[in-house]
Amino acid sequence: MMKENDKIPLLPSWRHWYWLVVIFLALLIIFFSWFTKHFS
Amino acid sequence: MSRFDWIILVVTLVAIVSYGLYKSRTSKNLEGYFLSNRSMPWYLVLLSIMGTQASAITFLSAPGQAFTDGMRFVQYYFGLPLAMVVLCITFVPLFNRLKVYTAYEFLEQRFDVRTRTFTSALFLLSRGLSTGISICAPSIILSSLMGWDIYWTNIVMGGLLIIYTVSGGAKAVAYTQQLQLIIIFSGMFIAGYFIVHLLPEGIGFNEALQVSGNSGKLNVITTGITESGFDMKDRYNLVSGVIGGFFLALSYFGTDHSQVGRYLTAKNNTESRLGLLMNGIVKVPMQFLILLIGALLFAYYQFNPGPVFHNQAVVEQAKKTNYRESLESIERQYHYTVQQASVMNRQLVAAEGEAKNYLKESAKGIARQTDSLRTVYKNTLKQAVPAADTNDTNYIFLRFVVDTLPPGLVGLLIAIIFLAAWGSIAAALNSLASCTMVDFYVRFSKHHAHAGQSDARELKKYRLSRWYTFLWGIFCIAVAQFANRMGSLIEAVNILGSLFYGVILGIFLVGFYIRKVGGQAVFAAAIVGELLVILLFVLDYYNVIGFGFLWLNVAGAVAVIMLSLIFQRMGAANKETAGQ
Repeated sequence: MMKENDKIPLLPSWRHWYWLVVIFLALLIIFFSWFTKHFS
Repeated sequence: MSRFDWIILVVTLVAIVSYGLYKSRTSKNLEGYFLSNRSMPWYLVLLSIMGTQASAITFLSAPGQAFTDGMRFVQYYFGLPLAMVVLCITFVPLFNRLKVYTAYEFLEQRFDVRTRTFTSALFLLSRGLSTGISICAPSIILSSLMGWDIYWTNIVMGGLLIIYTVSGGAKAVAYTQQLQLIIIFSGMFIAGYFIVHLLPEGIGFNEALQVSGNSGKLNVITTGITESGFDMKDRYNLVSGVIGGFFLALSYFGTDHSQVGRYLTAKNNTESRLGLLMNGIVKVPMQFLILLIGALLFAYYQFNPGPVFHNQAVVEQAKKTNYRESLESIERQYHYTVQQASVMNRQLVAAEGEAKNYLKESAKGIARQTDSLRTVYKNTLKQAVPAADTNDTNYIFLRFVVDTLPPGLVGLLIAIIFLAAWGSIAAALNSLASCTMVDFYVRFSKHHAHAGQSDARELKKYRLSRWYTFLWGIFCIAVAQFANRMGSLIEAVNILGSLFYGVILGIFLVGFYIRKVGGQAVFAAAIVGELLVILLFVLDYYNVIGFGFLWLNVAGAVAVIMLSLIFQRMGAANKETAGQ
């Protein structure tokens, strides 16, 4: 049977990892909005 | 292509096949062949996931898509990071806990064998067909550029990757994908550098972006809202990208075994999750950069005379007819307009204030003129050669590579197209064989348990798995022979996936989240849901309704969930009536 590693890499919990991915996406969308507006 | 290009191309391809064979040593049982003994670290899982998703189509069509339609295609990937999070919370722990070989094994444990078999069959059908298209994509380019016969090109293209995929299974697939991605990213970076480097003096990266942006090619974010409200037919916008893209990514990564099979090779939950989450972080920027190459290419052709139509084979064929003079006349007008555009754009990037606004409008006017000349040219081509495909999206990037890049780099870029194709095709063949073996052969043979098998029986299944991989390779090559008349291949694959993914996802979501629904209700819901999705697609195809293909994923999933609830309630009511 597969075992979960005890230590979650770099961040305190998986929940932090999930927020990191979501916040990164939000920042990308904000950057893309600026990019579109700036060069339109 | 020069002799040096040929050497680079052949050496790269032979090196990958040899490396795949070198990494082929694996345990001679199903777990070793299909799951690499569940031993992979997260970075190999990540590269394998990326290599499986990014086919040759990604690198051929995406720059062309940005060139013609702008960069808004990137929005299609906005739902992907969110889907990665949901997968890590729900799918990954469950698949790993049940120790499944295929995603569809879960469905038998949750519902019944009929639902598992139906879903696995849907996967085999959709993945088999789309893999055929993935073989066809690089073959079309080669046959067009080299004048090779497309049918023989498909055979050679599919045949080479089958060698190491049959031999080494999932392990060979993962290790070759790692090497392939390194070569691909290096080559694409070099191509991007050369586009900027070849711009005229005084025009750099920032100026190229200004020119491209002024013609609407940097439209990364679009809302899809028109004067008459939200346009459901609009394929790529923020809303369809986040919602439709989320459903598509969730079904692709959660229920398509070509992807599930990649993270099932991880050594534990942590490695699977990290691979998927990292994919959620790097995928959107990666796709943005590939599309940016297309936008820069557009700027390049505003200063340099390029072909009006990028598939030279069709042009040559058309010029053998009575339409030669008409075509050449349009070419002259086009090149004159590009010269005007070049002058205008030079003034534009140097201007400031009110003058800049005026020049922007003038440059836009010229861009519209070149667009309309391209349309007239395509219509003339169609009249000259009615059977010709006048969509040149897939040729734009490679045409630039062949016409412009120095010897050596042309060979490398052609090799990259092969490698990108091989990465996704190899994973697909491995997963097709895996489902055929596990969901059909093993499931319906007399001794269908995975564990406790004798070595001789395990060896027999291992050998049979290699045969299935080989036979799926042959099937996909056969499909490729019929796929060469499609338009944008990246859209063809996505549309094909969207026809099935929503329904498959709906089945899994019911399995995960709605405990009260049983096998009979979900099976009936899946059949009706699939018919509904096909009906919506046909109605959209004939312009009866407007329904962008990304919404088919949402429609399929929602239909299965709602219908299974209704059927379950109807079934319960019937039982009550019968009991009274």
